[in-house]
Amino acid sequence: MLQIEQTNLLIQTTLTDKIFPEKDAKGYKSIDRIISDFDFTTYHISTLGEEKHLLLISIYLKCWDDLESYGVVKYLQDKYVQFEEALTILPSGDVENNYNYSFVLDLAKLEGQSDEYKQSVIDSLALLKRNCMAAPLEKAFARYDELAQQYANSNTYAEEIQAELQSEKVLVINYRGIDESIYIKPSFDRVTVIFSTIFQDETDKIFGKVFLQEFVDARKRSVQTAPQVLYSHKEPPLDIAHVVKSNNNTDADNKGYITFVLFPRHLVRGDKRENCITHIQVFRNYFHYHIKCSKAYMHSRMRFRVKEFLKILNRAKPENIDNDGSRIENRKTASGRRFAQ
Amino acid sequence: MSQSLKPYLTAVRSSLTAAICLEDFSSQIVERHNRPEIEVDNTHTPELILNPMIIARNENEKILIEPSINSVRVSIKIKQADEIEQILVHKFTRFLTSRAENFFILRRVPIKGYDISFLITNFHTEQMLKDKLVDFIIEFMEDVDKEISEMKLFLNARARVIAEAYLTPFD
Repeated sequence: MLQIEQTNLLIQTTLTDKIFPEKDAKGYKSIDRIISDFDFTTYHISTLGEEKHLLLISIYLKCWDDLESYGVVKYLQDKYVQFEEALTILPSGDVENNYNYSFVLDLAKLEGQSDEYKQSVIDSLALLKRNCMAAPLEKAFARYDELAQQYANSNTYAEEIQAELQSEKVLVINYRGIDESIYIKPSFDRVTVIFSTIFQDETDKIFGKVFLQEFVDARKRSVQTAPQVLYSHKEPPLDIAHVVKSNNNTDADNKGYITFVLFPRHLVRGDKRENCITHIQVFRNYFHYHIKCSKAYMHSRMRFRVKEFLKILNRAKPENIDNDGSRIENRKTASGRRFAQ
Repeated sequence: MSQSLKPYLTAVRSSLTAAICLEDFSSQIVERHNRPEIEVDNTHTPELILNPMIIARNENEKILIEPSINSVRVSIKIKQADEIEQILVHKFTRFLTSRAENFFILRRVPIKGYDISFLITNFHTEQMLKDKLVDFIIEFMEDVDKEISEMKLFLNARARVIAEAYLTPFD
């Protein structure tokens, strides 16, 4: 399992069970499930009181306030309006307590629809988190389109234009609290996405360095068309230096900044852009997941090696002493007779 | 085996064989005590301690052998060329020392300046064959270096694979 899926499997299976019930099932059953996802995201899927055909689906995201300022509500509206026969988006006043965004899915209305339609409802709801996080990226990419058009015929090396681009607003998403954030800065010929991340311990930090070095080198070596990756430790890159809060906490030592420079070839409208959004979001999770994986592998390897060492040491013992060092009694000959005591 | 490793290990082997020449010896200071003299503060009985020796392949790889009348302490400094090797050696020795009770001769805490220490007493040599104990230490020294460099290579290889796997789908 090299890649991390963006769809939430639990949502997918829960909804599939509900939407495609088994043949002999009678009526609708009530359900109340809390599902978690990466980056402190939680979903709540429950039936609405006695009306068991109505499913309430809510999501909580740590960075909702940031997302809201980047137009997530409108983005989700556009995304899910195609299912409006069955899926109602609740106005912000009616959203479930402790959650940020809610839908009501009407199973009764969904019943008359074709299977493909049902499947696409499930698929797009399973991508709910991805869609929420996509809003600011989408906004930045839209801004890139504008800038690209605006500066298409001008000399972009001119100082005033450079200065203008420099002062372009940076979008900040504090998706895991204050310490780990995504910074997005659009420009006329690229979009820069910067992740800040914290390493929990020394080993993570060093493994992380090795991994990131390979990310930086991969482009030079084999994947020439990939976005450019830059890595800096402790010091935030200049582009975002003014927005990074200078917090003097002790964790600053363990902080790293990873910059992805997305070029126009990655930002082609349509599938490519969607794919790029989906993919860049998981970076932090993917990265930390693989650090943990290699740690686990190292551990099992050491376990094996220690076993081998023990075997070598045990060779030092004469044969009639067992592993605990006590004398083995009752040794038998091949024919089954015992030695005289 | 590289050019300088063989003489290093040969020297260690013969020194160890010479040093592990132990006999049962009760404490001269405390009645009815029998303890590894090398681990005791020997200001009163310096005659029980023999000259320690250091065999070094280079400044990063050396071994310290401290013999006494009834015990030998062997401390090994494992090669650590960079940050990654440091962390791997640290993890590995911690892994070993936390299983010290299975290893009989392993000391839970290494001597300062070394990565791992063994303490061989006359009780060990009575139960186990001396030559095989020496074999164990030599093999340990060989395998640890091999294991550490293999783990490092693996880490780099894995990092390369995942970096490429992540960056490829962008296009």
